[in-house]
Amino acid sequence: MDQAAILDHQFRIAAYVVTWVIQFGYAAWLFLKWQSQKKKLKP
Amino acid sequence: MKKLAIGAYLLITVALLGWAYYQAIYVAPNDALQGEIYRIFFYHVSIAMDSSVFFIVSLAGSIGYLTYRHNRPEWAQIADAWAVSGAEVAVVYCTIVLTTGPIWGRRAWGIWWTWDARLTTTLVLWLIYVSYLLLRRFAAGPQMQTLAAVLGIFGALDVPIVYMSNRWWRTQHPAPVFGGGPDSGIKDPQMLAAWGWNLLAWLAWGLLILALRYHVEREHQRIVAAEAEAALNA
Repeated sequence: MDQAAILDHQFRIAAYVVTWVIQFGYAAWLFLKWQSQKKKLKP
Repeated sequence: MKKLAIGAYLLITVALLGWAYYQAIYVAPNDALQGEIYRIFFYHVSIAMDSSVFFIVSLAGSIGYLTYRHNRPEWAQIADAWAVSGAEVAVVYCTIVLTTGPIWGRRAWGIWWTWDARLTTTLVLWLIYVSYLLLRRFAAGPQMQTLAAVLGIFGALDVPIVYMSNRWWRTQHPAPVFGGGPDSGIKDPQMLAAWGWNLLAWLAWGLLILALRYHVEREHQRIVAAEAEAALNA
């Protein structure tokens, strides 16, 4: 692979990783928030 | 039965995300001009289009809250829960759009950012909804819900402006992928399929987290109501 193709590849991976981190990070935070709220709702 | 349905939906969504990734990376061919870097569009464009669904949910919830706040308080609370859930998921999606776009721009244009109409209106939209979430975070009570609903409705006015921005004005941002005239659209069937699968997969994922966020908000409302009642009875 030439230098340009390597850079393209790295930038593409960066964009995909950013997407996964934000999406799954938010989902994980939401799940934890839900679990802590569940405890509060228990009598 | 409900748990089984949720589990099945989660499994289908994860499988869809995997399939969409496979389509975007291994099936769609490289672009003749942009090479591999164009594959960012499979996430960037799909997630941008999906985000509009969550902005619409938030708008509908805000309108619903203002409509029912006096005569049907329980309906108003449900509408408010949809409003905040839609806004939060929309901000998550918009954040991804505003980070993957500059990553592509740095490689394609040589710059991370430019103040063109599409980028600027999207940033303004993001800022409006972040301020909506901050308002909800740092204030409480029915007055906050009313203010948030009004802000949510005004914020949603920016959504069609974002959509039309690269149709109304000449922008550095690429021309619309769809609905932008005779030259718009994805010509390669494999690229079109990869885009379609990603649109569907991220929509399915978004609806899943929207439902979870709504459930969390409804529980939060119950906790707040119980605390208020306990304080009154004390």
